[in-house]
Amino acid sequence: MADDKKPVKLPRTAKGKKPIYFDSTTDKLLSMVLTLMGELSVMRDRLDTVERLAEKKGVFKLDDIENYELSEDVNKIRGERRAAYIARVLKSVQDELDALQQQGDGMNVDLPQ
Amino acid sequence: MIPQNMHSMFARPNHDEASRQNFVNDFRVHLASKVFPGTFPAYFSRVLPAFIKTQGREPKDRHEVRKVMTKDPYYQLWSAMQRSSQEMIWDSVIDSVERQLPDLLKKAKDLKGKGSLTINPDVKVPKYHDAADIHLQPGAYHTDTTEDDLAAGAVYDRGTYIYSMGGLGKENDGLGRITREFFRRQFPDKKIERVLDMGCTIGGSVTYWSTKEPGTEFHAIDVGAPCLRYGHARAKAVGGNVHFSQQNAEKTNFPDASFDLITSHILLHETSVQAIDSIFKECYRLLKPGGVMLHLDLPQVFGQNPLEGFLWEWEIYNNNEHFYGQLRELDTASVAAKAGFDPAKFKIHQVASTWEDGQTPYSNENFTFPVYLAVK
Ligand SMILES: C[S@@+](CC[C@H](N)C(=O)[O-])C[C@H]1O[C@@H](n2cnc3c(N)ncnc32)[C@H](O)[C@@H]1O
Repeated sequence: MADDKKPVKLPRTAKGKKPIYFDSTTDKLLSMVLTLMGELSVMRDRLDTVERLAEKKGVFKLDDIENYELSEDVNKIRGERRAAYIARVLKSVQDELDALQQQGDGMNVDLPQ
Repeated sequence: MIPQNMHSMFARPNHDEASRQNFVNDFRVHLASKVFPGTFPAYFSRVLPAFIKTQGREPKDRHEVRKVMTKDPYYQLWSAMQRSSQEMIWDSVIDSVERQLPDLLKKAKDLKGKGSLTINPDVKVPKYHDAADIHLQPGAYHTDTTEDDLAAGAVYDRGTYIYSMGGLGKENDGLGRITREFFRRQFPDKKIERVLDMGCTIGGSVTYWSTKEPGTEFHAIDVGAPCLRYGHARAKAVGGNVHFSQQNAEKTNFPDASFDLITSHILLHETSVQAIDSIFKECYRLLKPGGVMLHLDLPQVFGQNPLEGFLWEWEIYNNNEHFYGQLRELDTASVAAKAGFDPAKFKIHQVASTWEDGQTPYSNENFTFPVYLAVK
């Protein structure tokens, strides 16, 4: 029995050659996007559970969420967090832009400000 | 997703695991109903006209369609997403099984019930199962990860339900329902004392039969040990009565004339043509005179136009169903005749699926399975 041993790890990758659909990078990007799509859906379900439980236990009502009023402070905090989040997700684009900028020093590269 | 009935051996998903599995199911339903249908207009509005323009004729077969369709961007995107969704099925299920494996192993030992289990470590995994993991289940049917392992079976029980988008029914026994209904329509009064199911995996089909024909002795064989162990435990959990044993269907250790009926459910397309030859011969040997051989499997090419033929073969090239290609064109009547069956008593039936309301397998409402039926 497995009880007193290390937990068993099941195989996670199927044996066999994986077809290429677009090219290996694009294929990986697509599966990342689909996985993220799934994880976001999982997160939404979990949040939904939290909201429903909170209502059931009398913590607050679902309507309270819909009617929540954004104070100036909270609005600012969220705005900053959102900007950092966008930068994090689009980091690969930023990296490329940085590289271009270095190469382009003195070469009159047109970059958006 | 329509909830699957969870028996006591089932690897119950926790909150997030269940969400993930639901997502994969719903994503596949979307792909099948909203994305896949676009492959037809993509073909007829641009791929076919372009082919005619360069060749001066239509593609003559599915292979020619493949050459051009696999370059079409719409088809490529559907195909790539379909492949990803297949990988996501297993990924979403393995978590629940891995997490609860020690518990499942213990439950399997403690469960009381009917039937038996005989594991034979000398049985080799056939080449056609070892080359690649069929339909991308990591480790396939046969990989043992621990002593008395049954993980592959537990993964299969949930994974195939999501694969079929619930089309196999809440008890995941849809194929057994189809064969039994068909058999009883063909042979309403036939007495069946002993029945053998070949390539039973977790016994989804044969266990269903055993609950419906309580006077009959059911045997079920497979090469995959973890699936058989899970199958035995699952049968106990749902009140079935089946004797499971690890054997290769090409050559079993049952005596001649042992059975009144031998069935298989989607076994043949996962074996080679040589294996099918041997399996039909073995069926002939094992059947009593007047006994019935009944193999249900996936559609062959006959009667499909080149585009349909090509689309049906997606699984061959993208889902590690490499051996399905051999069955697609096989002359099963000749194989049966070679095995000893009287050609007059062999027939291929097209059997409609008896899916529950509102559930269709794949996106095709007129779906039928070929059933290869012979009487000795
Ligand atoms: C698609 S599954 C069958 C599903 C199952 N019959 C059901 O109704 O749920 C195919 C099974 O055939 C088994 N198999 C393949 N070749 C075999 C052979 N030569 N002898 C016995 N089992 C075999 C595989 O291990 C696998 O479990």
